[in-house]
Amino acid sequence: MSTPSSDDIQLENGNLGREQVTARDPSGFLSQIIGAPVTIKLNSGITYKGNLQSVDGYMNIALEGCQEVVDENVVRSWGDAFIRGNNVMYISADRGNPSSG
Amino acid sequence: MTTENLLPLELIDKCVGSPIWVIMNSGKEFTGKLLGFDDYVNMVLIDVTEIDPNEGKIHLPKILLNGNNICMMIPGGDGETKFEGEDEDEEEE
Repeated sequence: MSTPSSDDIQLENGNLGREQVTARDPSGFLSQIIGAPVTIKLNSGITYKGNLQSVDGYMNIALEGCQEVVDENVVRSWGDAFIRGNNVMYISADRGNPSSG
Repeated sequence: MTTENLLPLELIDKCVGSPIWVIMNSGKEFTGKLLGFDDYVNMVLIDVTEIDPNEGKIHLPKILLNGNNICMMIPGGDGETKFEGEDEDEEEE
């Protein structure tokens, strides 16, 4: 499970089917926000925004349309990006995302 | 208090659905309502306030917080309210 893939997500869903109904535990929340716009904050303080393509058990993240954001201004922009999970402090579902409520 | 024989993770489990105050290793803090957590104490929080000593407060509607850098969690805490005994301790000193 070194890279985020659709297989990993399916495995997580399979393992935690009961909790997934409520989507209140971490893996349920993750499956809920796949494909949605998210904000990722790293331990270093750097913030990235993009569409969450996939996450695995290490919190490795594939982010589509990744942008580095400082004070709500985009300072750099990439296409698809891989973020290594050990750097991730939090994954936030962006405001306006229907599944964030 | 009936915290006798209460395992740490059981304490957190009792906090699900309640406000919680999380203090990170860096000194950064989060307050919000705990929706759930896993074995690594990764946590799903809603209506979150991120309190950074330098950057100030940021509101986040719903987050998954990585458990790796969590230092301490205080059930019922909002980052501001003082708890019973806290004032008395300060007066004694």
